[in-house]
Amino acid sequence: MNIEKVIFGFFVILACTLNFGFFVGDPESLIAHNATELFAALVINLVALILKLGDHTQIGAIHLATSLVATLLLACSAMTWGWQVYIAGQLLDAATMATIVSFSGGALTANLISVILLIGETLRQTR
Amino acid sequence: MKETVFLVLSRLRRPIIVVITSLAISVFGLANIQGIDADGNPGTLGYFYAFYIMSYTATTIGFGEIPFEFSNAQRAWITLSIYISVICWAYGLGVVLQMIRDPVFRQALVRGQFAARVRRLTEPFILIIGYGRSGTVLAHMLDRIGYRSIIIEIDADRATQIRTQEFQNYPLSLNADGRWPDVLVDAGVTHSQCQAMVVIAGDDDTTQSVAISGNALSPNLRIIARARSEIAEANLEPFAKIEIINPFETFALNLGKDFNSPDKLRLEEWLTGFPGETRPDILRIPSGHWVICGFGRFGRYIAKALTRGGATWTAIDPDPPEFSKEKNLIKKMYSQDTIMEAGIENAVGIIACTDSDSVNLAAIRRARILNPDLFVAMRQVLASNDSLVEATHPNLRFNQADVMSHEVRQLITSPLLNRFLAAIRNDSGDLSARTASLLENAVGDRVPFLWVFSAMGAYPGLREAFAWNPESPFKIDDLLVHPNDPVQYLSAAPLMLVRESHEILLPEGHTKLLSGDRILFAGNKAARDLQRLHLLSPSPLPLIRTGVEPPRSWVFRKWFESRNAK
Repeated sequence: MNIEKVIFGFFVILACTLNFGFFVGDPESLIAHNATELFAALVINLVALILKLGDHTQIGAIHLATSLVATLLLACSAMTWGWQVYIAGQLLDAATMATIVSFSGGALTANLISVILLIGETLRQTR
Repeated sequence: MKETVFLVLSRLRRPIIVVITSLAISVFGLANIQGIDADGNPGTLGYFYAFYIMSYTATTIGFGEIPFEFSNAQRAWITLSIYISVICWAYGLGVVLQMIRDPVFRQALVRGQFAARVRRLTEPFILIIGYGRSGTVLAHMLDRIGYRSIIIEIDADRATQIRTQEFQNYPLSLNADGRWPDVLVDAGVTHSQCQAMVVIAGDDDTTQSVAISGNALSPNLRIIARARSEIAEANLEPFAKIEIINPFETFALNLGKDFNSPDKLRLEEWLTGFPGETRPDILRIPSGHWVICGFGRFGRYIAKALTRGGATWTAIDPDPPEFSKEKNLIKKMYSQDTIMEAGIENAVGIIACTDSDSVNLAAIRRARILNPDLFVAMRQVLASNDSLVEATHPNLRFNQADVMSHEVRQLITSPLLNRFLAAIRNDSGDLSARTASLLENAVGDRVPFLWVFSAMGAYPGLREAFAWNPESPFKIDDLLVHPNDPVQYLSAAPLMLVRESHEILLPEGHTKLLSGDRILFAGNKAARDLQRLHLLSPSPLPLIRTGVEPPRSWVFRKWFESRNAK
């Protein structure tokens, strides 16, 4: 067993599952989407991004790209939330929540690709 | 598939026109006949409702009077339409059923599907024309070494047999006459993945015409043809891309080789046999006087080989095919007396090579009574006589199928194998002995798989391996270690390394690899699959050398460094 693979796999999969947890539910519902979960997803995605830095293989480059996309979209999602509540000073409404959730949906797609890459590489090695 | 659709449509042209016409007339009538709408006002139904009503009425589904009650005029028209349309539909369905049952149509359908499946193939394949005994052995051998085959067989029974036999990669097969160029095209003779076409039809005439039309259709395709007569060989000679195997001649040549260099012959058979089976035994054919029963094409080749090997012989044939002035030929039946006359008592061996298994068996039995210590070689004609021939315990058995599959494997596996075998044949030192001991270490007494590892620097894994550590470069030994578990070794032996145009036979393990090298390996299949990991990035080389998989990303590298520093 390789400890690098355990840690790497843990963060990649956790990033994807947290993102999914935030994403599921009616996009316009204000109670189906938890702010703490979005925060956790963003942080774990950042950790996964750091773990992927410096891998010179070709598959490593695509891994890094997916993480960059996921992190960027989650950051957009969080900033939309922050802008509406603290800068524009308005209440969180259904339309804003829909935007936030759709950003996180995009991030989820990137995270899924990342998990597929992880599985594909594992299968390739053990074949 | 496109052809099938057009074929169906052309057969159904008339019924479709009939159905359309009847539907059109009834829809037109119903749409224009006066009726009453939901509010009781007079009006027509219009084309949409008329088409809807006729669709469910004509096909006898019948929902009732929808959307609103009909007038009597409409009811009368519908009644008439029902009779017309039911007759038309019945006629149409009848034609469809008739077409499906038509054997010609079915054949065309099967052919179309076969051609479509061949066209969709993306893996390399080998086309075999003729699925007799040799074809069967060959198809199984190719399957074992990982090739898909496509088979054309003219006999319907034999063609169906293909589907009942066991394969890893099921061959695509078609029951058709390979002499037709369109059959060859459907079978993929012009397909970019077609590696070679092997023609082993029942008779030489068919083989010739198939081979020549294959060459005309696809001039760059390798064609391997079996020719049993000199005429056929001469006819195919001018085609550079057609390689000819004469099983009689090959067997006789091998026999001759056995007199002079039995080790080389055994090695050759070992490398070209059926992978996974036990290696052939050494024969030690005795030199001295031989009796040949049957002096047809095969007998003559054998006689030539015996003469070349320094042995004497006497042949017996009651009815030799051509007038022969051979003084060693006795034109009598294979009776005890004749065999005596041929000198069986002082002979070292007998070769029974008539084209009848029972005559061969009888001749051998008689000869053994007169001289029990004979070396017995016999030709087996029919596959079904396996057990009979087995019971006779011949020292050497000739059957065309085995010779064909050995030869085809030599030609198909890789041009490198041919170069290696040629080097063995021309060697005067101990090359064959060294190769044999290498093979023994790698695969024991089994027939190995053979493959070529191409060390092309364009593969990402190899690029990394070549650049990894300039002080201790990438070597052949690294290819023989298990890439996922470096404490294990792979069951494989490097036979030859080809660099540009020169070759290194049995390269040493510490030979440095360069980009572009090709190495011929013998070993088991798993070893070949594992070696492919070297082509992928990340390269398994660091793991092989150090036993530790290097960390791949920046964070882990820092972490490992700090851990190792402690």
